[in-house]
Amino acid sequence: MPGLLEELESQIAGVRATTAKQNIGVIREVGDGVARVEGLSDAMLNEMLDLGHGVTGLALNLEETEVGVIVLGDYTLLEEGDEVRTTGKLLQVPVGMGLLGRVVNTLGEPVDGKGPVKSDLAYPVERMAPGIIRRQGVNQPVQTGIMAIDAMIPIGRGQRELIIGDRSTGKTTICVDTIISQARLNRAAQEKGDKDYRPLYCIYVAIGQKESNIARIMTVLEHEGAMPYTIIIASPASDSATNQYLAPFAGAAISEWFMDHGMDALIIYDDLSKHAVAYRQVSLILKRPSGREAYPGDIFYLHSRLLERAARVTEKYGNGSVTALPIIETQAGDVSAYIPTNVISITDGQIYLETDLFYQGMRPAISVGLSVSRVGSAAQLKAMKQVAGQLKGDLAQFRELAAFAQFGSELDAKTQAQIDRGKRIMEIFKQPQYSPIPVGTQVAVIWSVQNGYLDNVPVTRVKEFQSRLTEFLSTRKPELLQKITVEKALSAALAAEVKAAVEQFKETWS
Amino acid sequence: MPATASHVRRAAKRLFRWCVVNDRLQEERARAVMQEILKSKRRGFITLLSEFKRLLTIEVAKHTARIDSAVLLEIDQQTRIKDGLERAYGEGIDSQFSQNPDLIGGIRIQISSDVYDGTVRARLVALGASFGIRSA
Repeated sequence: MPGLLEELESQIAGVRATTAKQNIGVIREVGDGVARVEGLSDAMLNEMLDLGHGVTGLALNLEETEVGVIVLGDYTLLEEGDEVRTTGKLLQVPVGMGLLGRVVNTLGEPVDGKGPVKSDLAYPVERMAPGIIRRQGVNQPVQTGIMAIDAMIPIGRGQRELIIGDRSTGKTTICVDTIISQARLNRAAQEKGDKDYRPLYCIYVAIGQKESNIARIMTVLEHEGAMPYTIIIASPASDSATNQYLAPFAGAAISEWFMDHGMDALIIYDDLSKHAVAYRQVSLILKRPSGREAYPGDIFYLHSRLLERAARVTEKYGNGSVTALPIIETQAGDVSAYIPTNVISITDGQIYLETDLFYQGMRPAISVGLSVSRVGSAAQLKAMKQVAGQLKGDLAQFRELAAFAQFGSELDAKTQAQIDRGKRIMEIFKQPQYSPIPVGTQVAVIWSVQNGYLDNVPVTRVKEFQSRLTEFLSTRKPELLQKITVEKALSAALAAEVKAAVEQFKETWS
Repeated sequence: MPATASHVRRAAKRLFRWCVVNDRLQEERARAVMQEILKSKRRGFITLLSEFKRLLTIEVAKHTARIDSAVLLEIDQQTRIKDGLERAYGEGIDSQFSQNPDLIGGIRIQISSDVYDGTVRARLVALGASFGIRSA
């Protein structure tokens, strides 16, 4: 005890009272999630401000005599005349492996009722994208498990691929299937102890979605065992426009932690149309000048700076990557509208979903003609490139000839064969929800079609053939599928094995 | 030309800028502007006057220092503070001293948006905030 008292005395004697300079302002006006503050002469753009009553805000408008602040919290607690202080900090979110399996809000606070998030580090929400020197080319595939995408519109790690279409065309379903596919691959590699496999962690950012939709997606991911590899950032429709505006940036910060630590992440922004609307609301309340369709002048920069944060970095910087799948909802199929054209020009390709195809039963309703991946086969397994290389051309020809055939005129044998082949290819690309197909199976099935083994199967029975072939290969020839996945290319010997397997199956088919 | 809010604000800003010469507010010019607006009674003159007053208030606050202390300061203490403020912010600072026992001890100086708060009350509030206790 005497030692403790002496220590306390020396601590008190050593204390030097210092006075720090603070910069303050006074709230002049508050409403609709925005406060206008007079003073704050030293406030910086995007600086966090302490608005009192436990509420913080971000300085977004720096004007001559006042600062426009967006409120992160309950703005109804604020009153005219309240003091506001600068904090000298940027908005940050917790990052790290502790977020996997969790559902958090825009500020990284848990909303799933599973207790606090374990995280030692925080990343700023707004951050510069990796520079040119830090980047390397995209050449590792993201296996979405959706045959139409993996075969014809391949996505690579570090790419930005836009998913665009009208409401209820299956945009979110494609993303959920991708997450499930990644989870299965991650788990299989983990169980095998495969040190060479790089797991892909998924981040799903829900912007302006119905809470029931977010809950349903979470349930599906839990049921499929994908949640341990997934983070959900929820900013539902009931959230303020400020939180909806910041949510994608928070997600990007979380994904960048994986990239900075040599890991791969996939981030889904669902959807950026609602994000643009939230930003428009915030900008209009801040009285920023409005442009086309009442969007602010920097609406392009909003999305470009977000999507540029998805990249693949060089070995020197960890060889990590962030792959982005932004979603845009069009109205009446109009891809030439303002926000869709903006985002199309930013991304490295788009997957276009058509309502007509959807209602014709073609699901996923991917329009092969309008969809493109600018990374292309550089991000495709060689085996897939070998079997699927001609698919796009075959389907393009099929579409032209199919329109011609509608007139009922007599067709020559070659044309008829092309049409028949095209119908069968379209059939095999139909895929139910939440059923991603492993790449080995995809290669085998596409090989079968391209080599004519389905030519004598009626179109109405093609799905049945595919299903039974898949079952045959996975139960009787699992080592063949494994070989395709490991060797990544179809050598002559491997192609012969595939041929033998398919012929063996066909003997049992009736 | 209709007197919209943005027009009135722009007009007030132009008039205010005319009143500031070499970064100092000219009182005679400000008075002249005020008299002229009152005399003209043009459409929106009350809004114009309010906006002009707001800009004047901000400008005056830039050159006004409010010094609050728990006890009344001696003359030499006040002089030292005034000299310090003029060294930091330039000449012509109007220093207003007041006593506020709620501060418990120390001095609080506010000039425009800058606050130098060395009071005991501020330290207690900061200490409470570090424990998650919010002051009323």
